[in-house]
Amino acid sequence: MNATSKRVVIFFCTILWAVVTLRSPSAAQTSRGADVAVVVNSDTPIADLSLSEVRKVLLGERQYWNSKLPVVLLIRAPAARERDVVLRVIYQMSEAQFKQYWVAKIFRAEAAAPPRIVYSNDMQFELLTALPGAIAFVDSRNMRPGVKVLRVDGHVPGDKDYPLR
Amino acid sequence: MHRRLAVLVMMIFGANAAWAQSPAPLDQAEQIRILLERVQQLEKRVAELETKAPTTAAATESAVNVAAITKPAAAVAVPPPGPVQGHQHETAETQTSAGQMEVHYPSLQIRGFGDVNFSATDQKGTPSGFNLGQLDLHLASSLSRKVTYFGELTFNAQPTGYTVEVERSIIRYDYNDFFKLSFGRYHTPIGYWNTAFHHGAWLQTTISRPDMVRVGGTFIPVHFVGLLAEGNIPSGAAGLSYNVGVGNGRGSIISRPGDAGDNNNNRAWVANLYSRPAKLYGLQMGVSVYRDKITLPVVSPAGNEFREWISAAHIVWTKENPEFLAEFANVNHKNILTNASTNNQAYYVQVGYRLPWLEKTLKPYYRFEHTHTPFSEQVFTNQDLVGSIVGLRYDITNYASFKSEYRNTKRLPTDPRVNGAFFQTDFTF
Repeated sequence: MNATSKRVVIFFCTILWAVVTLRSPSAAQTSRGADVAVVVNSDTPIADLSLSEVRKVLLGERQYWNSKLPVVLLIRAPAARERDVVLRVIYQMSEAQFKQYWVAKIFRAEAAAPPRIVYSNDMQFELLTALPGAIAFVDSRNMRPGVKVLRVDGHVPGDKDYPLR
Repeated sequence: MHRRLAVLVMMIFGANAAWAQSPAPLDQAEQIRILLERVQQLEKRVAELETKAPTTAAATESAVNVAAITKPAAAVAVPPPGPVQGHQHETAETQTSAGQMEVHYPSLQIRGFGDVNFSATDQKGTPSGFNLGQLDLHLASSLSRKVTYFGELTFNAQPTGYTVEVERSIIRYDYNDFFKLSFGRYHTPIGYWNTAFHHGAWLQTTISRPDMVRVGGTFIPVHFVGLLAEGNIPSGAAGLSYNVGVGNGRGSIISRPGDAGDNNNNRAWVANLYSRPAKLYGLQMGVSVYRDKITLPVVSPAGNEFREWISAAHIVWTKENPEFLAEFANVNHKNILTNASTNNQAYYVQVGYRLPWLEKTLKPYYRFEHTHTPFSEQVFTNQDLVGSIVGLRYDITNYASFKSEYRNTKRLPTDPRVNGAFFQTDFTF
């Protein structure tokens, strides 16, 4: 193989790499948004949770804040960024696995109902304020007064080491 | 040569351009995201306008009304177009609406499971063919904030018709996460499989259950009638939980619990302790013990009463990359009259892996299982088994799958090995 052929092969490989890299889903999905805040009804007697405790709540392994206050899970509808973050960071599941998880959870008699689905921030905040024990995941740019933002692993949204993003 | 390479490069660019013209799911997801953001902006604007309006009564409206107001705006964002559209009715979550904001009791939810099977083996005298698996109906109903009912009914195909079985019927009172008390008919909390998958074939990776927890089998008592306390144990990162129960134990037919009443005055008890460590999300390991007195209906010169002591352990990795399940159980029977004691052991190890291709719909798996009953065993008939299963699960949709398996099993040392091909489609609805 002469020098010109080598150059052409290198050029061809570079083109191939560029095509694959630019078209890969990961490249398209790396656009970063704001942190996702863990928000609870203001009467909920809690201010700080570790990420594994948040996971326990979302998995339905912790169902009560205390003996008088059940947890009410609110999760955004598919395609919302908050939901993507919750599934990726906390559940570590795909959309299909998440659905199957809750079917199995109820079938095992470990929970009576799946999380409530909410379609917009407005609905989310209304439910958060109306339902004692409610917990939801909100884009930190869209925060509103009247709810409580929890620290996760000691960090608030915006901190460098905040885990939900 | 240069001309050939140039043509090749042009073909790649051409293919890339053609690819770019086809609708990509990611672009559609991005569009949905943009639409959702737009809806949120509009909602914010509406909220601002409402607060500026002289009648600010809306701020004090009940949550029911508020939800009803926000619903139409939200509905714009809900139906996801493109590839997601096919699954828009498949959501497992509760769609929060104005009606559901009000808490109604009882709130009954019904879900069903079903499966259809085909099998063919080289065992003499066993015909190949189709068979209908269990049709399984699951009921869950909140009776109040802290009281819930769970039920499970199966319809089983028999040569002369169908039988209906109450598999589970449980009423549970939740005090908090640490103490939940229930009464009824359960799947006995021994090991992992028996309480993880119940009768829904769709829930489990494989076509069949391991022999040691086979429905209708006798190795462990699959069902239990009595009361059960369960909950978490404050244990920090260890993530400990427990089940402790008292009940009738095995009936005169030892594969069945004493649904209509115990056949002796001795209660069985069961305790199960397991850990889900916080740092190792997906891992569960646990130990179980079960104690009972068995009274067989036929009295022999050696007596018909036995003490049963079951000890079991399990370790599972519930994520699917990989999935790993392993269980072991020892069943000890001691003749009350003669003090003769026997130990029966069974275990299985199952591994699976959700492949990353084809939208993660494929999951190959393998299971090895072994059961040993000694010749001196007086309660069980021989249950010896050495078997391997290799199979592939294909998830047709989020709620239906197709499974194919090859099995190689051997019962007694004198029995021939049996090879078989098994196929199943299972689903939940």
